[in-house]
Amino acid sequence: MTENIRINNPNVKYTDTHIEAQYFYHTTAVRRDGDTLTVTPSVSELEFRTERHVPRLGVMLVGWGGNNGTTVTAAVLANRLGLTWRTKTGEQKANYYGSLFQSSTVCLGAGPDGKEVNIPFRDLLPMVHPNDIVFDGWDISSMDLGSAMERAEVLDWSLQEKLRPHMSHLRPRASIYIPEFIAANQAGRADNILKGTMAEQVEQIRADIQDFRHSSGVDKVIVLWTANTERFCDLTAGVNDTAKNLLAAIQSGGEVSPSTLFAVASILEGCAYINGSPQNTFVPGAIELAVERNVFIAGDDFKSGQTKIKSVLVDFLISAGIKPTSIVSYNHLGNNDGMNLSAPQQFRSKEISKSNVVDDMVNSNPILYRKGEKPDHCVVIKYVPYVGDSKRAMDEYTSEIMMGGTNTIAMHNTCEDSLLASPIILDLVLLTELCQRVCVRPQGSETFQSFHSVLAILSFMCKAPLVPPGAPLVNAYFRQRACIENIMRACLGLPPQNHMHLEHKLQRGFLPRHDNRIYDNVATKMVLSNGYHASQQNGVCAHVVKEATIG
Amino acid sequence: MTENIRINNPNVKYTDTHIEAQYCYHTTAVRRDGDTLTVTPSVSELEFRTERRVPKLGVMLVGWGGNNGTTVTAAVLANRLGLTWKTKTGEQKANYYGSLFQSSTVCLGPGPDGKEVNIPFRDLLPMVHPNDIVFDGWDISSMDLGSAMERAEVLDWSLQEKLRPHMNYLRPRASIYIPEFIAANQAGRADNVLKGTMAEQVEQIRADIQDFRHSSGVEKVIVLWTANTERFCDLTAGVNDTAKNLLAAIQSGGEVSPSTLFAVASILEGCAYINGSPQNTFVPGAIELAVERNVFIAGDDFKSGQTKIKSVLVDFLISAGIKPTSIVSYNHLGNNDGMNLSAPQQFRSKEISKSNVVDDMVNSNPILYHKGEKPDHCVVIKYVPYVGDSKRAMDEYTSEIMMGGTNTIAMHNTCEDSLLASPIILDLVLLTELCQRVCVRPQGSETFQSFHSVLAILSFMCKAPLVPPGAPLVNAYFRQRACIENIMRACLGLPPQNHMHLEHKLQRGFLPRHDNRIYDNVATKMVLSTGYHASQQNGVCAHVVKEATIG
Repeated sequence: MTENIRINNPNVKYTDTHIEAQYFYHTTAVRRDGDTLTVTPSVSELEFRTERHVPRLGVMLVGWGGNNGTTVTAAVLANRLGLTWRTKTGEQKANYYGSLFQSSTVCLGAGPDGKEVNIPFRDLLPMVHPNDIVFDGWDISSMDLGSAMERAEVLDWSLQEKLRPHMSHLRPRASIYIPEFIAANQAGRADNILKGTMAEQVEQIRADIQDFRHSSGVDKVIVLWTANTERFCDLTAGVNDTAKNLLAAIQSGGEVSPSTLFAVASILEGCAYINGSPQNTFVPGAIELAVERNVFIAGDDFKSGQTKIKSVLVDFLISAGIKPTSIVSYNHLGNNDGMNLSAPQQFRSKEISKSNVVDDMVNSNPILYRKGEKPDHCVVIKYVPYVGDSKRAMDEYTSEIMMGGTNTIAMHNTCEDSLLASPIILDLVLLTELCQRVCVRPQGSETFQSFHSVLAILSFMCKAPLVPPGAPLVNAYFRQRACIENIMRACLGLPPQNHMHLEHKLQRGFLPRHDNRIYDNVATKMVLSNGYHASQQNGVCAHVVKEATIG
Repeated sequence: MTENIRINNPNVKYTDTHIEAQYCYHTTAVRRDGDTLTVTPSVSELEFRTERRVPKLGVMLVGWGGNNGTTVTAAVLANRLGLTWKTKTGEQKANYYGSLFQSSTVCLGPGPDGKEVNIPFRDLLPMVHPNDIVFDGWDISSMDLGSAMERAEVLDWSLQEKLRPHMNYLRPRASIYIPEFIAANQAGRADNVLKGTMAEQVEQIRADIQDFRHSSGVEKVIVLWTANTERFCDLTAGVNDTAKNLLAAIQSGGEVSPSTLFAVASILEGCAYINGSPQNTFVPGAIELAVERNVFIAGDDFKSGQTKIKSVLVDFLISAGIKPTSIVSYNHLGNNDGMNLSAPQQFRSKEISKSNVVDDMVNSNPILYHKGEKPDHCVVIKYVPYVGDSKRAMDEYTSEIMMGGTNTIAMHNTCEDSLLASPIILDLVLLTELCQRVCVRPQGSETFQSFHSVLAILSFMCKAPLVPPGAPLVNAYFRQRACIENIMRACLGLPPQNHMHLEHKLQRGFLPRHDNRIYDNVATKMVLSTGYHASQQNGVCAHVVKEATIG
């Protein structure tokens, strides 16, 4: 089901190459004078211009042979080939479940029957289809992707058998390996590594990107880190505080992590770079370099399982006026990520990434939390080989409810780690690619500008979102999702979702004909039902309220 | 922390009596022609008028002596008196945690420092404070409220001791008892019941409302059913299908449930009536009567515990492109509600109320669910006296993720039943009262109209929301909350929340001075930090991006 959408509005123009939309962006500024808050709404007129032509996209994964890398590559192949395979419960079809763009929907508006029209998220704007992505990448392990898929133990065996001929010929390029940044237990895998000085290795990565671009014929390359979690990098003045110092440090072989080296190589090649792990790849110098070169960067750390639910549940509780006072999260997993995280320094990166996810919600409610007060928050990750990729998350949320009462939610969540992360990898690259085709011109400005290099719209997919200086950090799941949806709607000149349904809430309708017709339809279609409330719920009872008789 | 808000905009006028706001309401109409969806945005100009004066509010509870009735009354008294009491972990203060309006916040917009300004939800518009509510009510049990509070076993003993002198003299009025509608096990409590014909009993309820109004001096009365769940009432043509037939059935003593009798009495007295239990109180004739008399009705069934979380989690999963395939919910509780629900007919009402809560989310995603497909959904409720009011909900959500993978969430939720329901009772009556002071005039119309008698904006607090004919049924928690927030913002002429933060997402700011200042502040305030990512997250690193140097 792919939908073609046409906006019927003089503010939206379709040229051969672009969708051009005039948009009114509403903001409110608040000023406090003593007890009084003065709220000043204002409107900015913006022109959104979205390139319609969807390029041929290449994605290079750092850690291509890992569980995420092999799973996302296999999923795209299986979907492209339309594979089906037998499981003990029947035939299974390839799909993209868990992908925001491929498998979730957005409401466009009301149809002639008054019912909401929901379309795939991906159809709001022209986007690359994941089936058309060409993959390439690096790995410190030389294993071909067919064997690496087997090593990962993620996909059904009967599917692996069908995919192996398509995967075996894919071999990761040699990667950068600096042992001190990842756990010592990874040494055994490191049989495919670059030699030479740091500067030479960066040059090789750049050459790899150029080689991939030319040999595959893709129009655009995006690089994404889905390799091991590194330890945090010290932020040191003179080394990584500015772009210039960082480039100099690479020349002289200073403290620069492999992930930062990949980021620098990508930025220098003009390729967007996304960090799917928790470490601080984006040291100040790397960010400055991206800004200087007008290249997108985004991160950090895929938000796929426990943290994703946490950013839903805590938002729910606090937005309902309930006060979470203790959040305890135990995890165990048995894949290579788990093995790497069993080292203290790497675990520390992960712990930091997971720790701040509730801050924005806690800070938003000064009724429940006085200044500086936070819930207790504890995160434990253990390596348990047997469970493999089938990560277990056990969470306890204790909250204070009215009059000193307690609400305790205990949750056991079996998350297939790589099956949840793979669709998020796709969403990250597809949204990044789309953002590269969108530009905005504020009224009064001569020129169009693109999004800020720090691509905060990707926060939805990240545990510890990187945002431009001064920008609010939002972790709350539904706010993040609304941000993506409303910005994509803006590209079509459509106002933000308001969820108000005012046309159904007043005594008499006020919309033009198309929308009012719904009242008549419903009033004639429904019948008196006996004994069941269910059939009533979608519109009380028909003959009770006729549009004409209320007023 | 009570905030005074002033809107600084020519479209918003404050008169001595009203807030008058001009508002542009955006909708989109969608038409399908073959493969193409044509989307036509339109704007309706509306004038919102909100009465500023907050009346003295009286609330009459049916089932005043039950766990909810005593708990909400006690909570309001304790808050009004500013009570504190000792517990083994320290001193506890009275509060309204769990109330949307009293304990949650909404974002008004950014302040001069660029940080979001969050205010208590209740401060958006003039609302009754719960401390000022005067309670009265009916119960089939004659027990005074002090003793009934003890019977409920909900509040801390040391608090009960402080409250008893304020509760003992409160005695419920005699109520309507028709044994066949509630479980036989309730007969032992029924020592305070009205005699006479059905019509006489309705007259007595009306007289009670009048008596309360006059003796207490309240200006407005709202009636809310928090009594036993009744069995479903048969919908029979000639009996309860029209207002006229329903009134005739009451005169002749036909099949009319006690809750419907209370609804009819309230409507005839011009009092809004809210149904906090699952039964079909609002038979078609009752709805017609409310519409004819321009009285608000709302329901059904408080959404407080398991269902509330379900309306969050399922929305989360489906909106993330994950497909819930099985939802199994076990509950056990030991309060009088549980005892009543142990009878099959009363359980059936509850089961129906709980069963449709995921329908809107499932129907919104035709990628995951083909037409007519639904997840398995099973609800069990057991009566276990020992756990008392401390209801346990055990839920298992099984979902299909990418490539045939499975995600399993098992949840154990200890919900203090009445402590969660009481703040919702307050939210229901406070929002109803506010809606009685809001009216809307669409452009081109001569007259203002009020909300539809079926007050769908209260859906947020209800398990099985009652909506006007043809109106979409929304169960999704965050959509329901956004509806309330955006309608209250509309009363102030403020546009809906868009969560876009566009002013932070482009390369250069475009807002007038007040908002741009944030860039400067941040850029000078932040310092280079070492080893911790956390301090970076709220704004990357300061010296990297200076507003002036980006462009």
